[in-house]
Amino acid sequence: MHFDSIANLQLLINGFAIGSIYALVALGFVLIYNAVGVVNFAQGDFVMLPSYVAISFLAPSVAVFGVQMHWQLPPLAVYLLVIVLMTGFALLFNRIAYYPLRDRGWMPVVISTIGVSIFLRNFAQLTWGSQPLSFPSPFTADTIDFGGLHVRPQDLLIIAVTATLIMFQYVLFEKTSLGKQMQATAQDRTTARLLGIRVGRIVAFTFVYSVLLGTISGLLVAPVFTVTKEMGGLIALKAFAASIVGGFGNIPGAIIGGLTIGVVETFGGFYISSAYTDAIAFVILIAVLLVRPQGLFGERVAEKA
Amino acid sequence: MSRANAGALVAIAAAAAIPVVFRGSDYLLNLCVLAGAYSIAVMGLGILLGYAGQMSLGQAAFFGIGAYASGWLTTQAGWNFWEAVPAAMALSALVGLCVGYPCLRLSGHYLALATIGFGIITQLVLVNWKAFTNGSDGMSGIPAPAIGAYTIDSYGAYFYIVLACVSAGAYVSSRIKATRPGRAMQAIRENELAASAMGIDATRYKILAFVLAGAYAGLGGALLAHSIKFISPDSYSFDASVVFLVMLIIGGASSVGGAIVGAALLTFLPEVLRPLKNSYIMVYGAAVIAMIIFMPQGLAGLLQAVIARFSPPPDPGSETIAARPSAQRS
Repeated sequence: MHFDSIANLQLLINGFAIGSIYALVALGFVLIYNAVGVVNFAQGDFVMLPSYVAISFLAPSVAVFGVQMHWQLPPLAVYLLVIVLMTGFALLFNRIAYYPLRDRGWMPVVISTIGVSIFLRNFAQLTWGSQPLSFPSPFTADTIDFGGLHVRPQDLLIIAVTATLIMFQYVLFEKTSLGKQMQATAQDRTTARLLGIRVGRIVAFTFVYSVLLGTISGLLVAPVFTVTKEMGGLIALKAFAASIVGGFGNIPGAIIGGLTIGVVETFGGFYISSAYTDAIAFVILIAVLLVRPQGLFGERVAEKA
Repeated sequence: MSRANAGALVAIAAAAAIPVVFRGSDYLLNLCVLAGAYSIAVMGLGILLGYAGQMSLGQAAFFGIGAYASGWLTTQAGWNFWEAVPAAMALSALVGLCVGYPCLRLSGHYLALATIGFGIITQLVLVNWKAFTNGSDGMSGIPAPAIGAYTIDSYGAYFYIVLACVSAGAYVSSRIKATRPGRAMQAIRENELAASAMGIDATRYKILAFVLAGAYAGLGGALLAHSIKFISPDSYSFDASVVFLVMLIIGGASSVGGAIVGAALLTFLPEVLRPLKNSYIMVYGAAVIAMIIFMPQGLAGLLQAVIARFSPPPDPGSETIAARPSAQRS
């Protein structure tokens, strides 16, 4: 095997970037899971939908319902608009797909999130067509050259934004009343309610926060991939794998699990087999489940009696 | 003869009339064969999820393994339909054993994810193991079954083979449900710890459920492969596994009839919605959400509620207990 330190460093940066995306989406899974005990199968579509919405306002020319749009609004304004729209969407999602089923165990909610996923993917196809769209990059240069090391600025942006979000989340959870209420709700809903926490609202806020994590990952990853109705599916499955590798329900575990899968899969795709890149995450997952079923960092909620 | 047996016989007789009624339309008969093959796979999932309470999102992989095994055996190894289909079924069951065993310590979401991983790996193998599967170009020329010199190549005649398999599958599944293995599985679904305390070997019955789910899906997949004659990896994706799960839940997770009706309904629903053109899958997604909210126990539960309303109350005891369990859990 040819060993090349520059190539390896480049792979490491790529791996960290894609791993950051998995980590953000994994956090979205874990937060909803901790709050309501259900895995949201539509999480990947919360990566896809905002990417399409953003493209509609950013791209020089894009067909929405067959109508050509040429808005080309300034990117920051578009990002804010998408975040506002997705907040509204998250509240709607919480109200329709979760709230009526909240007392019926986890399976009906899982099926209803699958229904939401089918709906959103086909809504996207109907609205934006089945051709992959390319997302305008916020950077003019494709790669920056650091003495032979070619780094995509988008990768650096992804890593920086993820690091910032993780710090933000730490402050939110550890230093604010809202974050403490979210944690209390996740730990024990009945007791939280007895303590005067408005559990319904906290759960709705958790949904919004999770959807926004998906939104931000979508806006970050869209310039790297093309935007298709399927783009979120595989990202979400790998993020789910990441959250289990780290120990389900465990927040630092989700982040480290995401980064691990991103890095290992990038190196594996390069050195072992590019055809099986997508299988690597699941091989890691199955190996971890067999050897250490509680995940690398232990789980928060037992579900494997 | 009990009411359930009479109902099953009426259903089989009605299904047997389908090729006569639809004899002019290969399109409709093809859909009926499709619904039959799907319903076998869904019944298998019903044993795993409905009886034993183990969530699987990898049923399409078993379906694909059955299809590819039977396709390869008939096109490359020179076997005939009658040898290849049982072999395909046995292979899927064996894979079910191999997947079921490591998955035993998992349940709930973990199991769902491990089965998703298995499905994705299977699909990648189907795409990339070109020597065996011919990759994404798919495998073509899968022969129709023959009896002596007579080849069963009309959809009408083939439908009877599928119908026989569906009936046999339904019979076996309902016998399992009513006897010791089925009761043991249902006890595990309700409370694994309590079931173990009662002396039920949970490991054995969970593996059995995986093996049966694999065998059923393998049979369905093989039957479909010999009907459509061409298979490609796209048909066995994660989305197909989701469709199987939705068929089962809509039909009623622990009901044999529900599995068949759910599979048939969701096979025909897209065709009925076709006038909506491109938006039909969107409507289908919305229909799934509405059905799960408004029909908690699926079509089977709805039907039971309607029957209960118009008939005298049954004997207290066996019936009511058997009808209740899926309410909260599945």
